[in-house]
Amino acid sequence: MSDAPLLEIRDLGKRFPPRPGRDVSPWVIQGLSFSVRPGELLTIVGPSGAGKSTLLNMIAQIDTISAGEIVFNGEAVTAHDARGLRPGFDRRIGYVTQDDCLLPWRTTIDNVLFPIEVQGRLNDETRAHAEMLVRAVGLSGFERYYPHELSGGMRKRAALIRTLAYDPPVILMDEPFAAVDAQTRTQLQADLLKLWNLGRKTIIFVTHDITEAIALGDRALVLSRQPTRIAAEHVIPIPRPRNVADIFALEGFAAAYERIRTAIQ
Amino acid sequence: MTDAELTAGTLPQAGGLSRRRLVLGGRLLLGALLLLGWEWGARSLGSVFFAPPLEVAARIVALARSGVLFTDIVTTLRVSALGFAIACVAGVLVPFLLRRSQRLTEAVEPYIMASMGIPKYALAPWLILWFGIGDLPKLVVVTLMVFYIIYITTTAGIRGVDRRLIDMARIAGAGEAVIAREIIWHSLLPFFFTGLKVALPRAVSATIVGEFLVATEGVGHYIEYSRQVSDTVGVFAGIVVAVALVLAINAAVNVAERRALGWRPVEREMEL
Repeated sequence: MSDAPLLEIRDLGKRFPPRPGRDVSPWVIQGLSFSVRPGELLTIVGPSGAGKSTLLNMIAQIDTISAGEIVFNGEAVTAHDARGLRPGFDRRIGYVTQDDCLLPWRTTIDNVLFPIEVQGRLNDETRAHAEMLVRAVGLSGFERYYPHELSGGMRKRAALIRTLAYDPPVILMDEPFAAVDAQTRTQLQADLLKLWNLGRKTIIFVTHDITEAIALGDRALVLSRQPTRIAAEHVIPIPRPRNVADIFALEGFAAAYERIRTAIQ
Repeated sequence: MTDAELTAGTLPQAGGLSRRRLVLGGRLLLGALLLLGWEWGARSLGSVFFAPPLEVAARIVALARSGVLFTDIVTTLRVSALGFAIACVAGVLVPFLLRRSQRLTEAVEPYIMASMGIPKYALAPWLILWFGIGDLPKLVVVTLMVFYIIYITTTAGIRGVDRRLIDMARIAGAGEAVIAREIIWHSLLPFFFTGLKVALPRAVSATIVGEFLVATEGVGHYIEYSRQVSDTVGVFAGIVVAVALVLAINAAVNVAERRALGWRPVEREMEL
């Protein structure tokens, strides 16, 4: 693992345009800095309303930044107005959002192939890779189903592999497993670690669940309340491969949990 | 599969069949009641006020044999279909173009709404002055009648598109053309079909009203001619033909809708 950061967030700030009748709008995010190394799985934990989605929206460049800069592979982005935005940073930053955002008129396999298709890279090889991912997350037999015919967990898996299938160097994940039951979530976390092991992508995974942040991450950042910045950083000392279902029992979990819980308050 | 599963699998089908029979029976019963009411109306008011259904049916058969029916239907459908097609293309294209600029939309929209308020039939004499007595004035009326319906439903569909899907597509590398074709178009299809269902009968009736004014053939011309010679049976026969045309077109739209929107959950749940 090289130490040169792949993605660097420097002094990032965000404020939304003031509402009519108010002179100034408060800073939602201010002076937020961190960096991610290639192949690292970084988790970010923060309380609800800490601006987690706003932070990822800015990194994915579907929302403008008000201060600071985002540096990707040495290339800086300072898009202060919507016209300058390059969503997904020319296909180099993938984004798995809280909602699965599957296209309801496309079947599972066609949803997974959608990014590859619009990028004009659909061929036997990319198709085979996508089909391998479908099998890896247990969606075999559901390729021709429409999203509304799938369970919540299956939709999450489809959304996850849709982004993995086109292989962007960095993937952002915004609480992708928040809306499913505990058992499904554990399974999805295990799936994610399995897939990450296959390719060692760089992942920034945002969650409000401390256990999830520890189970998945190499490093966990803790966000403060608004205006949001990084309140603490913790390296997770638990060796891989980790068994997500037994994460509580693993050595180092309790101490990490306690430190992060204290940092959040 | 076990026996229990087999039974469970066949049960809803049996239910669906009896339900379909029930609906069909109800339809036939309603139809019979309507015909009875019609016959009763003709007998109590006299055939000048109210043409008896059997005479109307006989007239339609006679018209079909002489070939007049076919010519009239083709004439009416030709104008309706052409006007409808022009209006559909424009009614979809204009909102797609306006989508590109919020400011342009705000500038143009009041004028589109104002022009919608113009009573098209009141302009008929001038349409004839401007466009002559051929198909053109009728075509203009039909196009105007249909355009607004498609324009408004398409605009509503575009405004209802899920922003999150557009963001997802952009991040995945989709350009504006792909977003318009893949996301916007599919999202607005349900709205578009609703528009079609309202607009198609309008297109046919606008053509028929147009034919009252200027025409040498067409279903509307036949109705108007019959009216002028006090041929009540002829007027009613023309109306029945117009209704049959609208029903046939509507059935075709329903088939197209089921094909285009097969992915929607509602379609199948309605069948239960």
